[in-house]
Amino acid sequence: METTLPAPPHIQGPSSKEKKYDRQLRLWAASGQASLEDAHVLLVQAGPSAVGIEALKNLILPGVGQYTIVDPCEVMEEDAGVNFFVEEDCVGQPRAKVSCEMLQELNPDVKGRYIAQPVEALLRDPEFLSPYTLILLVSPISSLALKTIATYAWEQHVPLFHIHSLGFYSHFTVCLPPSFPVVETHPDPTTTTDLRLTNPWPELSALAKEKTDGLERMNDHDHGHVPCVLLLLHYLEAWKQKNDGRVPATYREKQDFRKAVERGARIYNAEGGEENYEEAAKAVLKSLNPTTLSRHLREIFQAKECTTLTKDSPRFWVIASAIKTFESRHHVLPLPGSVPDMKAKSADYIRLQNVYKAKARRDAAEVLATVRAQEQALGRTDNPISEAEVENFCKEAAFVRLFRGEPLQVVSIDGNGNPIVGHEEPGSECSDGLKSIRLALEDTESLMPLYITFLAYDVFTNRDVPLDSDPAGASTLLHPAPGHADSSVHGDEHKLLRIALSILSHWYTGDSSEIGSRISDFVREIVRFGGGDLHNISALTGGMVAQEAIKVITRQYVPADNTVVFDGIRSKVWVFRRTAGMFRRR
Amino acid sequence: MGRERYPKQSLGSLYGRIKESRILMVGAGGIGCELLKDLVLTGFGEIHLVDLDTIDLSNLNRQFLFRHEHIKKSKAMVAKEVAGRFNPNVKLEAYHANIKDSMFNINWFQSFNLVFNALDNLEARRHVNKMCLAADVPLIESGTTGFNGQVQVIRKLTTDRAEQSATIAIRRKLRRLSPSAPYEAHQVNPYTALFGQRAIFSPFGRGNSRLTDGSEIFGTSEDDAPELDHGEDSENSREIEKLKQEAQALKLIRQSMGSPDFARKVFEKIFSEDILRLRSMEDMWKSRRAPEPLDFDKVSRQASEVDISVAQKDQITWSLPEDFVVFSDSLRRLSIRLHDAQAKATDGGAPPVLTFDKDDDDTLDFVAASANLRSLIFGIETKSKFDIKQMAGNIIPAIATTNAMVAGLCVLQAFKVMRNDYTSARMVFLAKSADRVLSSEPLRPPKQDCAVCGVAQTRLVVDTSRATLNDLVEDLLRLKLGYGEEFSVNNEVGTLYDPELDDNLKKKFSDLGIKGDSFLTVIDEEEENPRVNLVLSISEKSLPVDSKPIVHPESIDIARRARKPLALPEDALTNGHANGIGSVTGKRKRSAEDMVPEDEQPKKKGKVVAKGDDLIVLDDDTSNGVIEIDDD
Repeated sequence: METTLPAPPHIQGPSSKEKKYDRQLRLWAASGQASLEDAHVLLVQAGPSAVGIEALKNLILPGVGQYTIVDPCEVMEEDAGVNFFVEEDCVGQPRAKVSCEMLQELNPDVKGRYIAQPVEALLRDPEFLSPYTLILLVSPISSLALKTIATYAWEQHVPLFHIHSLGFYSHFTVCLPPSFPVVETHPDPTTTTDLRLTNPWPELSALAKEKTDGLERMNDHDHGHVPCVLLLLHYLEAWKQKNDGRVPATYREKQDFRKAVERGARIYNAEGGEENYEEAAKAVLKSLNPTTLSRHLREIFQAKECTTLTKDSPRFWVIASAIKTFESRHHVLPLPGSVPDMKAKSADYIRLQNVYKAKARRDAAEVLATVRAQEQALGRTDNPISEAEVENFCKEAAFVRLFRGEPLQVVSIDGNGNPIVGHEEPGSECSDGLKSIRLALEDTESLMPLYITFLAYDVFTNRDVPLDSDPAGASTLLHPAPGHADSSVHGDEHKLLRIALSILSHWYTGDSSEIGSRISDFVREIVRFGGGDLHNISALTGGMVAQEAIKVITRQYVPADNTVVFDGIRSKVWVFRRTAGMFRRR
Repeated sequence: MGRERYPKQSLGSLYGRIKESRILMVGAGGIGCELLKDLVLTGFGEIHLVDLDTIDLSNLNRQFLFRHEHIKKSKAMVAKEVAGRFNPNVKLEAYHANIKDSMFNINWFQSFNLVFNALDNLEARRHVNKMCLAADVPLIESGTTGFNGQVQVIRKLTTDRAEQSATIAIRRKLRRLSPSAPYEAHQVNPYTALFGQRAIFSPFGRGNSRLTDGSEIFGTSEDDAPELDHGEDSENSREIEKLKQEAQALKLIRQSMGSPDFARKVFEKIFSEDILRLRSMEDMWKSRRAPEPLDFDKVSRQASEVDISVAQKDQITWSLPEDFVVFSDSLRRLSIRLHDAQAKATDGGAPPVLTFDKDDDDTLDFVAASANLRSLIFGIETKSKFDIKQMAGNIIPAIATTNAMVAGLCVLQAFKVMRNDYTSARMVFLAKSADRVLSSEPLRPPKQDCAVCGVAQTRLVVDTSRATLNDLVEDLLRLKLGYGEEFSVNNEVGTLYDPELDDNLKKKFSDLGIKGDSFLTVIDEEEENPRVNLVLSISEKSLPVDSKPIVHPESIDIARRARKPLALPEDALTNGHANGIGSVTGKRKRSAEDMVPEDEQPKKKGKVVAKGDDLIVLDDDTSNGVIEIDDD
């Protein structure tokens, strides 16, 4: 007898790193974790808000590769009241240093750096931003820095977050690169089942025919174990014969079809009903929809990156183009191949599974062949796209999304300290964005007035300094926050409101008194906060920012597109799409 | 000014009340760490935290108050120590204890202005909920799973029912469903196979199994035990005889632990003999594939080339020989551990046992390999160790970001509670959906047919050494509160009284085991217009001998149970009873159609309005496997 129980060597389970990250690997898998560990996040801040530090904390814990904090300020006593990552006995030390060191303790796998200087000075080095793969900018920030960094991020395709957190209110805008595709959107598993009941392929039809042959004569046990997918195919076949080959399409037809299925169930058996028939009836409304392309996928197929491939096209577009070819050939997407659980004999269930799996493999092979042909034609065979990537894309095809970033336009200031929203751009008019912003302003549920107040806050805190002037330091570029001193509350309120209403007038020309009064409420509150934040609101916002940053870094899940505004007084979030068009001259 | 400057500026007059407040936080895990940071920085005056758990490596990706050097230490104690440094003005009190411990009684709960529930454990959450209702302290309840989360405020109903504004939101009915429904009712599917394996664990100890009474059947559990009985004559004597033989066989195998052929014996018992016996019940396999037993010698020959390091490859699905190698190697590792533990055990102490722990690799390897072997026998798809860990360990994904958001929202709701402003308090949901990120809705009045919230609560002061059940039934319930003939009195053990069960009436509370800080539930069983369930919380006190032994200090108006709600799909879908949180996304609009989470709406292009009953079906159908608890 050769019982092989090898000598006990040193046994190691999964690495301790895998163990530490176990709970998150279940969300974004090893591939997502690898992207996270390759990322280098830059945080730029100059105000008292803890929101950027809180966001960093939530990126450091799951193991982002590196982070760098740029902050010219020293720790003040009030920082200890809002920022967990400074201590009262550090007052007077550089805040970037203190926070960097305390954050570093959270995760020894992460590399942290800090630069205790104004970012405006650092930006004079044109290479300064090049190491960073994602940038977090926290207001108050000089429009000089905001504009320079935003331009860089847009041109270099680096995702940028611009963040505010003041008292009970917060906001952030996500600026993605011009083209940002996401393959793994993690749709709700209940929505992803694609059974192809209305257009089965021959093998599936054959299986249905075989398993439902003599359905009426089957004994109760067999009858009660025909998988619901095959039952539906059987009844659909009968329906088609009565209806000129059409499948039930309208709601009424589906209801009728469901009743026809239900009538087939045996109710005088021992169980008084049949589970497989119940499953089939339940699935009628959900599973008989013709397979149509989603709006998102149509956009992808029509994109010029998809229609004109080049030698340097990103892999995404090469595969997307091959899937498009598949779709135009077969009028369906490659089959994902999964089958939900259902009442069945296991042997039948496994056969059914295999029929779906085999079809999915065939479809993916066809797409792969197209990809290979393209690679040949484009002369990029030296670095072929992996089969696994193509297969994965095929599986996710119906839910792939493409996001189009928008450059972050900055509201600048004229010589009198008034905001200039519109920018000259030849041949362009303020267009689409404007219509939706008007609708949003008229919707009393929207938080657009709060967003305008944040824009006004940025104008307020910026000194009237020409953008090309030599920056001596952040302090000369920034005004104290509105309401910073008790004595200035009234004047600041007036000034902030004036700026906000001026911004409003760019977007709204009708009677704006009602919108103005809502803006005025937000202005009053923001001045009351005096530029300070509330720790729990910054913690919450830092959580949201980090969550979106993780989605962007891992290229998984659907990121916020692109502006999120939070009102803590009403526990409310408003998400809208900020476009460059909104900021063009009218 | 100093550190108080910003919170004071934003919170205004509320800040003073926050500084004076005394609050309780139950749970110092994922949400707890974030919450403690938020509470300490906001400046809540006195914070008590209770947690029974110790720190594990897999906590460190989000429970940021803990470091590597804290592993195995008390969560509550470390959290107190670390967070306390950040605000010297806050008084922190930590308890490394179970919240269900009797020292945390109703009086103790009453000493707090507010309680936060940041627990992972369903039973303990229910307990805290019950205690807060009994003590009439507002509770802020929170939970997360992956990207989803929720926060809600729970407050005992005020006496005036007309004023529904100041009322309670209801706890969501928690579901603990397996991630995927089994595809054949009595088919042994991978999940039951898996849990079957957890029961196999019994050769290593007697802890959580029925092995102690000799009735444990090797390799089966309650999940698939019915199959063994199926088709059998269940005459008692034969049954008992078989169980005896079974126990004897198990005993022999256990005794061979450590011997070279222990693996063979275990393997042959579970994967050959038991399967052959199961196979011999021909009736069972008429309509389904019969299981194929495995042959030890054959499989071990195939496995001779496989290295035991395969156990570390947790992302791939192992082959039969690989499963075999992991099975026998983990068995060997576990045997050594048990042997060492037994050697160290002192006389008179409890015999050492090994119990399944998802983070203990030896036990996980054993469960994973055995589950796969069993799946192969039954012709079921096998799984990777990574996946099996998730299923066996009931692992819920957890990340820092969701916890941070949920904790921030908890404090936000706390501000509203502290202002006594329940009209603007919100029940808030987080979802991974980026269209809205989070959504909120006003607190809902209690549902009268909900077991937790649709009840009346009151407190009794009882001299348990004198009071009899009759004093309660006749004097209090019938005479004072006006109950009729048909009702029952129950505690967690069972029914103490109903019209057919009057033996206990003469017994004293103390004889019935009803102590202070316990609860009784009175269920009105009148056909006409019955009352909602009444929960009595008992406070123990020696009362003067000449006074009544039960005193009911407050007045109470017990509502009548509503009839079946008529056509209220809106309510049914928003009160949180019907759906799991994963499916709740989006802004609420008050139309029935919008009540269905967007992604579950039938794909229709605005032409058909689904009927109410369809909506509910859809909903039931999709709330699978949603659990709202941070794991630890």
